[in-house]
Amino acid sequence: MTIVIDGRELQPPEPMERTLAALDKLGEGEDILLQLYCQPHPLFNILRNNGYTWTDNLLADGTREIRIRKSQA
Amino acid sequence: MHPNLSFEQAPPISVPYRFLLAAPWFGVLAGILLAWVGGDVLGSRWTPEALALVHLIAVGFMLQAMSGAMFQFIPVAVGGNVSRPLLVANVVQPLLLVAALLLVAGFLFGAPALLSAAVPLFLVGVGVFAVVVLLALWRTPATGMTIWTMRLALAGLVVTVLLGSLLAEALARGLALPLIPLTNIHLAWGLGAWALMLVAAVSYFVVPMFQLTHPYPLWFARGFGPFLMLLVLIWSGLWLREDTSLAQASGVLLATACAAFGGITLWLQYTRRRKIDDATSLNFRVAMIALLVFAVSAALMAVQPQWAEDPRATVWLGMLAFPGVFVSTISGMTYKITPFLNWLHLQRLGAPIAAVPNMKKMIPAEAMTGQFRLHVLALGLLLAAVWLPALTRPAGLAFAVSCAWLGVNVIRALQNYRRFRDQIRASVLHH
Repeated sequence: MTIVIDGRELQPPEPMERTLAALDKLGEGEDILLQLYCQPHPLFNILRNNGYTWTDNLLADGTREIRIRKSQA
Repeated sequence: MHPNLSFEQAPPISVPYRFLLAAPWFGVLAGILLAWVGGDVLGSRWTPEALALVHLIAVGFMLQAMSGAMFQFIPVAVGGNVSRPLLVANVVQPLLLVAALLLVAGFLFGAPALLSAAVPLFLVGVGVFAVVVLLALWRTPATGMTIWTMRLALAGLVVTVLLGSLLAEALARGLALPLIPLTNIHLAWGLGAWALMLVAAVSYFVVPMFQLTHPYPLWFARGFGPFLMLLVLIWSGLWLREDTSLAQASGVLLATACAAFGGITLWLQYTRRRKIDDATSLNFRVAMIALLVFAVSAALMAVQPQWAEDPRATVWLGMLAFPGVFVSTISGMTYKITPFLNWLHLQRLGAPIAAVPNMKKMIPAEAMTGQFRLHVLALGLLLAAVWLPALTRPAGLAFAVSCAWLGVNVIRALQNYRRFRDQIRASVLHH
């Protein structure tokens, strides 16, 4: 299952709040799809420090699709 | 924050706050000076009071706020880490504070010794800051135009301070240097390559994020910084050769670049997805309108040099740039930076997300919009006072009160951080 968070029309820090809340519910094999217009470095640091991996894909309209899952290791 | 998550090591909250707390009070000093002297103090940019005023804003208000904001912005926006931020801030901030006061006192009292004393403090303070920040910007794995434009801005700051130091020493020691061309070059580096460059770098990131606009067009974000830097270099070369007519022509190009940035930012605001007219958006709008008026005025003065013969014309440009563009932008950014800082640091205390107060509770919205309205009134009076000296005192007073209100709002944000922090710590202890 993918939890989708469209943060493009939300004022910070709401996208981060929603993502942190979603990490709570994230099961094995599931992922979060976060859509933003910027790279959320504070969130990346939290993910890095807490055993999550992510991919960051920039779309033509400027949207960044950030896909987050638990690290396999 | 999620109780099981650990946050990264970003600078302690006191690092950016000390700069942001100090900045507005330089604006208060500028306003008081204007109200105190009154009369025709804005009749020329070369009066001691005018030089003191412009540097209270430039190396007091702006440099304090912009350095503090960079300490916070680099980890949050570009994922870089400024090494030993507390130590660097402990060294840099007092140096810049004292240097700014010495420089201003040197201009005001015509004291060469004070001008000379300010120079090494600026060189060390800005030098340390630039090296540490450049290293952080160099080491970050992140990419994008915000980082590249910030690097250019930092180079702009270094050149501005070097030129300023040369000018201060020339005044203090009576060196035979071409003061007017050097001042024009110093101004272009300070206002263009440093201040506007940094505003652009930050805007690429924060305007879409906080004002919910579309991103800046990629071609613009890629081209604006290098183009602005190239124009400042051309402007400098032509003034060094004392080729006044070509320098004025390059001034038209510089004005066009400024207008393009102002126009695109206003267009992004106009076409944004959600209309949120908070103090940040409103301050940005005023800043960009001031930038457009600045650009049109500067271009007109370049093509019709007789209009620039009145010494007030340059003061008019200065009023549009300093309080109009940069005080507005910095005020708007302060109203996002301080609540976000509070929120980020409160998240780290280990309380559940729901226990951390919303960013909107950090500074009351009516205090921010009230201060914004007073700032617009002050700006209007300042611009009018350039041509109507009778308005100088009320303009100075309004600007002083507006900056004091900004300062009080920042103090209030810090007080709220401490109150919420104590509440969260108490609740964590009880569970």
